[in-house]
Amino acid sequence: MLVLAAWATATVDARSTGPGREVLRLLVQQRRITRAADIPLVRLGTTLLPVAAVLAAAVLPFGFRSVSDLPDGVVWFNAMEALAWAAVWLTGWAPNSTLSLIGGYRFLAQGLAYELPHMLAITTAALGAESLQVGAVVDAQSGLWFAVWMPVAFGIYLLSALAMAFWGPFDQPAGADVAGGAAGELSGVDRLVFLGGRWLLLVVAAAFAVPLFLGGGHGPLLPGWAWTVLKTAAVLGFLLWARRRVPTVRMERYVELAWVVLTPLAVAQALVVAVVVLAR
Amino acid sequence: MEAAAWEPVALLFAVTVAGVFLLRGVAAAVRTVREPLHTGPFSGGLEPREHPVSRFHVRWYPVTMIFLAFDMEMLFMYPWTKVVPEVGTPAVVEMFLFLGILLAGVGYAWREGAFRWT
Amino acid sequence: MDLRTRLTRVALAQPAVLLVTSPGATRERLAVEAELERRDWPQAAGPASADLVVFAGTPLPVREDDWAERVWQGVPAPRARVTVTDAVHAAHALDHGHATLLKPGTQHAGHQGHMNHQGHGADHEHESGHGEHGGAHEEHGGHEEQADHGGHEGHGGHEGHRPNGEHAAHQGHGHMDHGGMDHGAMGHGGHQHHMGAVAGLPMAERAADRDELRLDRLHVPLGPALPDWPAGLVLRLELQGDVVQRAEVDPVPTPSASGPAFWNEPWLRAMTGEPVTVGEAARRQCAAHLDSLGRLLGVAGWIDAAGRARDARDSLLGGAGRDELVPRIRPLVRRLRRSWTLRWLLAGVGAQARGPVGGDVHSRLIAWLDAIEHALDAIDGRERLPARPLRGPRGRVDTETPPSQSLLDALPELLEGAEFACARLIVASLDPDLDELAPQQLPVGRNHG
Repeated sequence: MLVLAAWATATVDARSTGPGREVLRLLVQQRRITRAADIPLVRLGTTLLPVAAVLAAAVLPFGFRSVSDLPDGVVWFNAMEALAWAAVWLTGWAPNSTLSLIGGYRFLAQGLAYELPHMLAITTAALGAESLQVGAVVDAQSGLWFAVWMPVAFGIYLLSALAMAFWGPFDQPAGADVAGGAAGELSGVDRLVFLGGRWLLLVVAAAFAVPLFLGGGHGPLLPGWAWTVLKTAAVLGFLLWARRRVPTVRMERYVELAWVVLTPLAVAQALVVAVVVLAR
Repeated sequence: MEAAAWEPVALLFAVTVAGVFLLRGVAAAVRTVREPLHTGPFSGGLEPREHPVSRFHVRWYPVTMIFLAFDMEMLFMYPWTKVVPEVGTPAVVEMFLFLGILLAGVGYAWREGAFRWT
Repeated sequence: MDLRTRLTRVALAQPAVLLVTSPGATRERLAVEAELERRDWPQAAGPASADLVVFAGTPLPVREDDWAERVWQGVPAPRARVTVTDAVHAAHALDHGHATLLKPGTQHAGHQGHMNHQGHGADHEHESGHGEHGGAHEEHGGHEEQADHGGHEGHGGHEGHRPNGEHAAHQGHGHMDHGGMDHGAMGHGGHQHHMGAVAGLPMAERAADRDELRLDRLHVPLGPALPDWPAGLVLRLELQGDVVQRAEVDPVPTPSASGPAFWNEPWLRAMTGEPVTVGEAARRQCAAHLDSLGRLLGVAGWIDAAGRARDARDSLLGGAGRDELVPRIRPLVRRLRRSWTLRWLLAGVGAQARGPVGGDVHSRLIAWLDAIEHALDAIDGRERLPARPLRGPRGRVDTETPPSQSLLDALPELLEGAEFACARLIVASLDPDLDELAPQQLPVGRNHG
C-alpha cells in the first residue's frame, strides 16, 4: 500500500524518469565502494531509512484500521521518524567523502531546526484529543478537523514533513550543490534503498497529517479508506506544488526562523488548545 | 493487551527488513557486474589530500544544547497531554510556565547569536 | 543472461548523463543540454548516479592530474562515455553513447581498458582539426565513444592498496591517455606507504579556525566536474567542517587553439570590423545571463525556475522571435524579483562593498534580471553595434584583462569563512566564464556558425 503510494507520487513528480525504470536502472547498476569506506555503515544507514519509514507507518490508520493502534502511537511515530537522523548521517559519513560528509551533517542541523516545532505541533494534536493514541485522535475529529482550529500546528507539521524527508525545499542534505550530498557516493541497490526510503518517509509523513489534522477517515458518502487516500493525495499534491515555488532552504537561515518564530508560535498554539480543552 | 499490540509491529519490522534483504538479493542476481567498483571520493574529479572523515567542525553546536533542553521538556509534555483535563488549570499553568522559562532561554541564545553561524 | 540484457535495455531507456564541460566548449555544452532536454534524459549530479558520461570538449589534465579519467573510473557499470568536440554532433554522440550502453557484452569483465586508451589517442590526433568548426566537416563523427569498465577487474584482490597506488601515481596518469599504459600495472608501480596513513592517505591535521580553536582541516579540490559549476574552474579549498577556511583558484588549463569565447562572440566580431547588429548582441547577452541565472538557481535548489531559465535560453539561441520570448521570460523575471524566499536566502551572502562584484548574491541576481529585461527590449534592433565600448555579458571585452579574470581574482576573498552552500552560491553568482581566459583567437573572416 505504502509502496504503491510512494510509487504514485514518484510518477507525478515531474523530475523522475518514471519510478519503475529508475528502480530497474538502479537494480542492474554495479555497486560502488569508495576508498576506506565503512561498508557496514553504508548498509546500515541505507537500510535504516525505509525500515524507519515503514515502522512509523505502523500506527497510520488506513480508513480507521492501522497495523497496530499503539496506546502511545504519536510518540512511536515521532521516535521512528527521528531514526532518519541516524540513517542519513551514517550514510553521509560512511563513504569517506567530503561532499557526502557535508550532506550528512547538514541533516543533523536540519533536524535541530525542524524537530522541535514539529514535536510541539504533534503534541498539540494529541492534546486536542487528550490521547496519544492515533485512533483516538481521529475519533476526536469526527466533527471539526484539527486543521481548522489548529491551523498553525498544521502548517508547521507540513513544513516538518518536508524537512524530515529531506525533500523539496529541504533537500539540502542531498542537494545538487554537494553533488548529491549524503546520497552522492551511492550507486546501485544502496542508492535504491536509500532514495526509496526517502520517498516512503515523505509519503508516510504526508499521510500522517491526515489522522492528526484532517479528520482521518471521517467524511461524507465515501468509505473511510477512500477518504484517507484522497486526503493523503491532496497533502502530497500540495507538497509537490510547494516544491516548484520555493528554492532550497539553507539551515543557517532556517534555524533562526524555526527557533525564534516557529517555536513560540507552536507554543502559543498549544496554549490556545490547552485552554479550549480546559474549557470544554 | 500490551504485548498483543506490539506483535503486529514486530511482524512489520521483520517483513520490512526481509523485504530490503530480498531487494538486495534481487539486485545481486540481476546487476550487470557482480564485483563492486572501488573508487575514490568525488569532489569534482580531483583527489583530496587527506581522508575526508574528520572531526567535523559543527558550528551549530550551541543549537544542540538548546535542543537538548527542549527535548527533555518533550518527555514531560507527551504524558502531560493525557492528564490536562484531569488535573485541570494547574497542569496548564505549570507546563506553560516551564515552556515560558525555556523560551526566555531561547530569546537569550538568540540575542547572543547562537542561531547565526555565518 | 538474455533476461539481464533485456532488463538493462528497459532500465537504460533514458540514461542519466553526467555532463562535464571543458573551458572553450560552451557551444558544445549548450548543444548537449538542449538535446538532453529534448530527449528528457536526466542529468546526474556525480559519477555515482551516472550511466553515460558526456565530455563537452576534450578534458585537459589539471596539474598533470587526469581528473577526467578519474571521474570515469568512478562511474558504476553499465556505463559509457562520449566526447563531443563539435556542437553539430551532439545528438549523434548521445545516440552513439546510448547504443554502447545497451550493447550486450561490453559491460562485462574481460573487456580491458587498453582499447579505450588507444581510442583516446586516436581522438587526440584529429582533435586539432576540430578546434575551429568553421571549415569543412570532413571529420568522422567528432566524438569518440568508449564502454569499458576495465581497470577494475584487474584489481580484484587489492582493495586496500589500489587507491594508494592511484594516488601516488599522479604523473603516470598524465601519460596514460597518450601511451595507452595499462592502468593496473601503473597503479602498482607507484606503490608507496606514508607513515601513519590509512589506505595511502593521511588523516586530516589540525589548524586554528577563525576563533583560534584547533580543528581538523581538510584540503579538498573542488571541480572541475561539478554540476552547475563554471566549466574548467578548480578551487583548492581548506575546509573545517563545512566552512571554507581558505580558497585558492587553480590556474586554468586552456586548449592551445581556442575559438572565441562563445558568450562574447558578437562583440569580438564587431571588434574585427564585422557588421554585427544590436539585436544579435542583445540576444546573446540575454542568453548569457539566462545561462548564469539557470546555474545560480540550480545551485540555490530552485529546479523549476532553473529549468525555465534554461528553456528560455535555448529558445533565444534557437532564434525564437520576440513575441514568443516575452511571454516566457517576463513572468519568470517577475516571479524571481518578487520571491521573498529567494531574497531571504540570498541576501547578505557573499557581500562586498565595492569593486566589480559589489553587492551580495541577491543583488547580483537582480542585476542579471535587469540586464535580461533590458536586452530583451533590444532584441529586434537592426542598427549596427557601435564599435566602442564593447560591453559583453560580463564586462568590457576590449580591454587587456578579460572581465572574468577580475571575477576570479575576487573569489578567494569572498569565499573565506563562507559555509559550503554559500560558497557554491557565491561562485555561481559571479559565474566567471573561463572561456574568456584562453588566448583569444579573433574570429577573422569566419562565417557565423
